[in-house]
Amino acid sequence: MKRAFRIYFPFINAGMQETATYRVNWIFYILGSVLGCFVSYFIWHAVFLSGEGETMNGFTLPQMIVYIFLIFLTSTMIGSDAAWAVGEEVRDGSIAMRLIKPVSYNATFLFQELGNKLLTEMFLVVPLIAGLEIVRTILVGSLQFSVVNLLIYLCSCVLAYLINFFFNICFGFIAFVIKYLWGANMMKNCIVGFLSGAIIPLSFLPETLGRIFMILPFASLNYTPVMIYMGVYQGAELLYFLGLQVFWALFFWGLSKLLWVISVKRLSVQGG
Amino acid sequence: MKQIKRLFRIHRIFVAQELKRMMEYKGDFIVGVIGFLMVQCSNLLFLWIIFNNIPSLMGWSLNEVVFIYGFSLIPKGIDHLFFDNLWAIGHFTVRKGDFDKYLTRPVNTLVHVMFEKLQIDALGELVMGIALVCVSLPQLSIEWSVLKVLLGIAAIFFATFIFTGIKTITAAVAFWSKRSGNIIYMVYMFNDFAKYPVTIYNEFVKNLITYVIPFAFTAYYPALYLLTGENPLYNVGMTVLLSAALMSLGVFVWNRGIRAYESAGS
Repeated sequence: MKRAFRIYFPFINAGMQETATYRVNWIFYILGSVLGCFVSYFIWHAVFLSGEGETMNGFTLPQMIVYIFLIFLTSTMIGSDAAWAVGEEVRDGSIAMRLIKPVSYNATFLFQELGNKLLTEMFLVVPLIAGLEIVRTILVGSLQFSVVNLLIYLCSCVLAYLINFFFNICFGFIAFVIKYLWGANMMKNCIVGFLSGAIIPLSFLPETLGRIFMILPFASLNYTPVMIYMGVYQGAELLYFLGLQVFWALFFWGLSKLLWVISVKRLSVQGG
Repeated sequence: MKQIKRLFRIHRIFVAQELKRMMEYKGDFIVGVIGFLMVQCSNLLFLWIIFNNIPSLMGWSLNEVVFIYGFSLIPKGIDHLFFDNLWAIGHFTVRKGDFDKYLTRPVNTLVHVMFEKLQIDALGELVMGIALVCVSLPQLSIEWSVLKVLLGIAAIFFATFIFTGIKTITAAVAFWSKRSGNIIYMVYMFNDFAKYPVTIYNEFVKNLITYVIPFAFTAYYPALYLLTGENPLYNVGMTVLLSAALMSLGVFVWNRGIRAYESAGS
């Protein structure tokens, strides 16, 4: 354990330094992405004004606002560039360098990214949650915030991040087949966005479809943590969905190991 | 005149080169186009599901919203198809010191950058935009006249250069800061507001996308003119005016940037 820490701590550190260097760039990126939330906000605002009644598929407008911004927060927190990184290395052959080093291939990525995230997320979570709760309190008239939900939400995000990380590692191996990672990545993000409830809450979908999506790993990425924060999942249901997250995390971890073994056998690096 | 002829010839050569490259990687081309198509499809699915829950969006019917959305994709797609290389300037060309090559060529740097790449992925957006306009048109009772068709085409042409102008200005920031990719991204994201009728926004956002970062003139206002026939002088005229203004500003900032540019790298 101690040894592992000594090996991987420099990767965390490197990740943090990387983010600190490009912080201005990151701020503009976040600002741009937040704009997308405001577009959604205005659309939903108009939708609720145009619809009859206060609730729509179980959502009130204040809940929808919380949903939009939390989906954004969650997807930023669990976001992983692993697919990109693996794919690039497969393509340009630098994966060979990783093979000769006595560290776990996946773990180096994981810790470097964690370093990245530690810095960025502290700057994002606190102001966003605080701002959101202030707005919600004003809209609803009473404080809805629950510390317990927030804590379980953060745990659920960690699980979601692990699922996403290992899923992306698996996806990165697609570079063996598709050379154009940028396009493939866009397709993946689009599908994941839809299936994970990031584009529209799953409860707006036809019931059977929604139920199927709920079991698929993608709902575990984004929908589950947000529902936990909003207090929709309670008791046994909560445990079920957390368990499902653990299952998918283990599943993709195993799959990434398997793909790694297969790929290394197939790998032929050009040049050198 | 002779110079313009020369530019067209250069463009042809660059495009031919790009097409050759593309034929080499046919798979990439298909993946990219399908990727962009899928992004648009998921947005449409979103609209469709929303409209299943409400009769109209603050008075706008699904067909009208789809028409505006589709219209917005056309100039965006054209700009994306031809002038996508500006993104690269902001993201890495300047930072990696690769910009030097443009300075050594006997062509205007901005022209060279713009002509160099053809982003075929954009066909996904362009095809989708045209398809949406075509699908929604028969359901809408629009009175067509020759003038309207001509103004519609003009609006698409000039709206394209609103995108290009804004991209040029923000990309040129990289000449001072070495890296402006995410500034382009941030400003570009305002375009998302313009895909929907601006009446759903509050005054602040409405003014912002009309006067400050005038993406509303790439879609909503010209589309409004086509839908209603109202006020062509403002709805289309402003598109022309802003497009010229932003493009001129873009050229100005770019040239200042070139003068301030110090090569990066070793």
